[in-house]
Amino acid sequence: MAIIAGGTITVSQYVACMEKKDKYAHISSRISGASAKAGHMMRDQQFGTPDITEYTDAVIVGGGAAGLTAARHLHHSGFTNFRLLELEPHTGGNASSGSNQYSAYPLGAHYLPIPNTDNQPLLDLLAEAGILTGYDPNGLPIYNETDLCYDPEERLYIRNRWQEGLVPQLGISHQTQDEIRRFLELMEQLRKAKGSDNRYAFDIPVANSSNDALYRELDQLTMEEWLTQQHYHSEELRWYLDYCCRDDYGAGISTISAWAGIHYFASRKGKAANADSSQLLTWPQGNGRLVQHLQQFSRDKTQTGCVVYKITPETKQVLVDYYDINTHQIKRLVAKACIMATPQFITQRLIPGGQYDHAFVYSPWLVANITLDQIPESSGYQLCWDNVIYQGKSLGYVNAQQQRLTQQLPAKQVITYYLPLDHLDPVASRKYAIALSPQHWVKLIADDLEAVHPGITELMHDIDITVWGHGMIRPHKGFITGDVRAAAQKSPFANVFYAHSDLSGISIFEEAFYHGNKAAGALTDYCG
Amino acid sequence: MEILLLLSVFVIATCGLIYELVAGTLASYLLGDSVTQFSTIIGAYLFSMGIGAYFSRFFKKDLLSWFIQLEILVGLIGGISSAALFLLFEHAASFRLVLYLLVGLTGTLVGLELPLLMNILKDRYEFKDLVSRVFTFDYIGALAASIVFPLLLVPYLGLIRTSCFFGILNVAVAIVVLVKFKREIKWARYLKSKAVACIIVLVGLFIWADKIMTFAESQAFRDPVIYSHSSSYQRIVLTHSRLDLRLYLNGNLQFSSADEYRYHEALIHPAMLYSPKRSQVLILGGGDGMAARELLKYPEVEQVTLVDLDPAMTKLFRQNSMLASLNDSSLLSPRVHVINADAFQWLKENEKHFDVVIVDFPDPGNYAVGKLYTTAFYRKLRHALTDSSVVVIQSTSPYVAPKAFWCVNATLQECNYQTIPYHTYVPSFGEWGYVMASPGPLAKHHDSLPAGLRYFATGTFSQMCDFTADMQQRKVLANHLNNQILVQYFEDEWGKYQE
Repeated sequence: MAIIAGGTITVSQYVACMEKKDKYAHISSRISGASAKAGHMMRDQQFGTPDITEYTDAVIVGGGAAGLTAARHLHHSGFTNFRLLELEPHTGGNASSGSNQYSAYPLGAHYLPIPNTDNQPLLDLLAEAGILTGYDPNGLPIYNETDLCYDPEERLYIRNRWQEGLVPQLGISHQTQDEIRRFLELMEQLRKAKGSDNRYAFDIPVANSSNDALYRELDQLTMEEWLTQQHYHSEELRWYLDYCCRDDYGAGISTISAWAGIHYFASRKGKAANADSSQLLTWPQGNGRLVQHLQQFSRDKTQTGCVVYKITPETKQVLVDYYDINTHQIKRLVAKACIMATPQFITQRLIPGGQYDHAFVYSPWLVANITLDQIPESSGYQLCWDNVIYQGKSLGYVNAQQQRLTQQLPAKQVITYYLPLDHLDPVASRKYAIALSPQHWVKLIADDLEAVHPGITELMHDIDITVWGHGMIRPHKGFITGDVRAAAQKSPFANVFYAHSDLSGISIFEEAFYHGNKAAGALTDYCG
Repeated sequence: MEILLLLSVFVIATCGLIYELVAGTLASYLLGDSVTQFSTIIGAYLFSMGIGAYFSRFFKKDLLSWFIQLEILVGLIGGISSAALFLLFEHAASFRLVLYLLVGLTGTLVGLELPLLMNILKDRYEFKDLVSRVFTFDYIGALAASIVFPLLLVPYLGLIRTSCFFGILNVAVAIVVLVKFKREIKWARYLKSKAVACIIVLVGLFIWADKIMTFAESQAFRDPVIYSHSSSYQRIVLTHSRLDLRLYLNGNLQFSSADEYRYHEALIHPAMLYSPKRSQVLILGGGDGMAARELLKYPEVEQVTLVDLDPAMTKLFRQNSMLASLNDSSLLSPRVHVINADAFQWLKENEKHFDVVIVDFPDPGNYAVGKLYTTAFYRKLRHALTDSSVVVIQSTSPYVAPKAFWCVNATLQECNYQTIPYHTYVPSFGEWGYVMASPGPLAKHHDSLPAGLRYFATGTFSQMCDFTADMQQRKVLANHLNNQILVQYFEDEWGKYQE
């Protein structure tokens, strides 16, 4: 009997397998993302002596949000003789965006929460970009209405239905409701809390946060350990916090420190005349909107496809040696000073005597932009901007059409699917991600979404897959307050400045912006 | 053999009467006034049967073959008649002509049937037997048809499937006769393939009838559905009863022909009295052309720019003669410039200024339409206005949905518009609200109204501005893209009425 049953299962599995093979055949797909090949060239290849030497005042290595911010800062300081070198064919880093005939879409970061009102440099940037249109009589920023995330913002698929909002509400016990309320109240307190040094316990940028041991000690626990210590046992609350950590850090509560986990909630103190503090700014192309603004300040100074392979700081100058992928030439830039707007695993390889410390852990990510006929309706709350699946392995999807003003939808729609690759340790996940073919990803993504939208596979046409091998710095236990991060803040050379969000331990636009400005400020001071 | 032929008399009679009933019902659905429609259709049909009977004398040879030919033809024409009428309704310039042509043709063919059959049977029976039997079965068939048609066929099959089904029966008669009288029939093979082809067509139509007219949909509306079409943007449905014609977009009533003048006069004329200049007018929405009709009553209006999303709507209200008669062919006027575009998108690109703007969008029942009632929209609209331009916005019912109504008012005020909220009673809608607004101060600039208004008069307006206690202004938030509060108010307030 067992044998017969076993045989049946095998046959049905085989049939199912055959069916599935055809099921995805109509979906075109490709993988793009950080050029691992070019990146590894820097690591593995030996380059000879430069063919060409050029001179400039300053060089910015890396054209992500931090590098572009530094370039903007230099521009505004009247410091115009500089160059920006970028490995990829385009600048933008994690905030890069793509587009097809139907919509623009982000390849990485999707939104910026309403900034804290004391973050004046960031408010000024938003004003400059036309996103912040002015201030009300109380001094609260007024944001361009069309740049705020339109309602309805978020929904969660839980117990076979969509509910409004991401905090689980459908079918949860009173005990859980109490725990959730207690947790959110505590976060509200911590949002206002200040340490003995009169600085906010949790702030953005991270560097402004209090050094009070009371709060810093939270970094010695994982978020999960802290939850247990604080008697938060509810499965739904723990899932929600795990989701939040994966969303912002690419890893869950068992890895991320309690300090970082709480920072997610307690650091956001944004206020606006025309939006709640919990609201966010977003665009169809995601944070591509912000880097598109930043790019204008360095457009004519930017060289893409440049593999910087050696930095040689000398007393009066810095030599930046790079390989130009476009012209196949080895070149040298001689500058007075240099900004390393690169993640530490690159910076430390380029700097003489640098040693990449493995305390800097990077979460690998997959971002997939799916072009489909339509998003099928399913039971419960209606389609939102952010659509999350309870206990899903992915973070769900963002629907860019939400930010359209027109009644008519394009013939096809684009949704952005986010999957933190945290099921293995980062190195193994990275290898796994790079080894997987686009077809495998298609199957994985389609099957994941089938669970909430039966029949969605048939509606898909194309999936643009972006794999971020080193997507985000991971604030694991002890990292934020640890010595390694503290030591990495400053370069050992007077004419080399560091600027990258990984120095904060948290990979958000605000941190990149902070480090970009800080480094550029230091450089202009240095150059006089 | 005998019983078989008599059975076919029964079937033929049933089919004949069914086609007549289908045509009568369709005519009263599509054109209204059922008494007139039924009596003229029955008259025309019976008269055509007489013509058919007259022509039966010219058939002298091969009667059986002709009879089979006839059954196939009746089956095909009768079977597809209602589908054809539904499809042609939108396109035909003169729908009545098509209707009566089809009725005439079917009637003539049906009129040929019995005389031909009696000629076939005349050698097999005695004359008095023949007449008695044929007419007995004929009348029994008529009784059957008249009972099953209203009780079973219309409610369960719908008109298109009913005529298809009886078309199939007609062709089935042809096939049975073909098989039974094989040896007496000329061109048997040709006829057989023709019959089979017709059966395939009719069965196909029967199966796909839903595509032409969803039966389920007709259930949702109070009155018979005469037209329905899913455009890229919305589902357009027209219903027709003895009293009125109604337009529904996505199931929401847009107007009833019986009282739409109240809605449209109240929408247009107050703004026209309050606007100092009235030569350039913009209508956003309003693809039915009714608002344009009211505007064209003013000789000063040089151009009406009508921006409606859906080309299917403007086409329907331009081409169909019955609908164009409702809007006095306003969409054909050289003074009206119709643009099919998204209002938000169009405003973004527009550089012209307008003296009067009529905003006649569907109610804010979903988040997509809700965006057209936000501060973002009214700020965008400001760019199409001068300081003294006057805007009017249809703003749902202040009685059913006071919060939603006052929210529109609050939203306009937040964008620095001066406003005058007002309301009126439209029987098919109930108490209905509008908000008049202007970037500058609002004052009456004209006293005279065009001739021929049925409802609005200069004295009426002060009453319209008076809000009784149950519609008083509520404390509400303004509608923003990032709160879409209007949609929530609207859903909460109208939701109670739908439970």
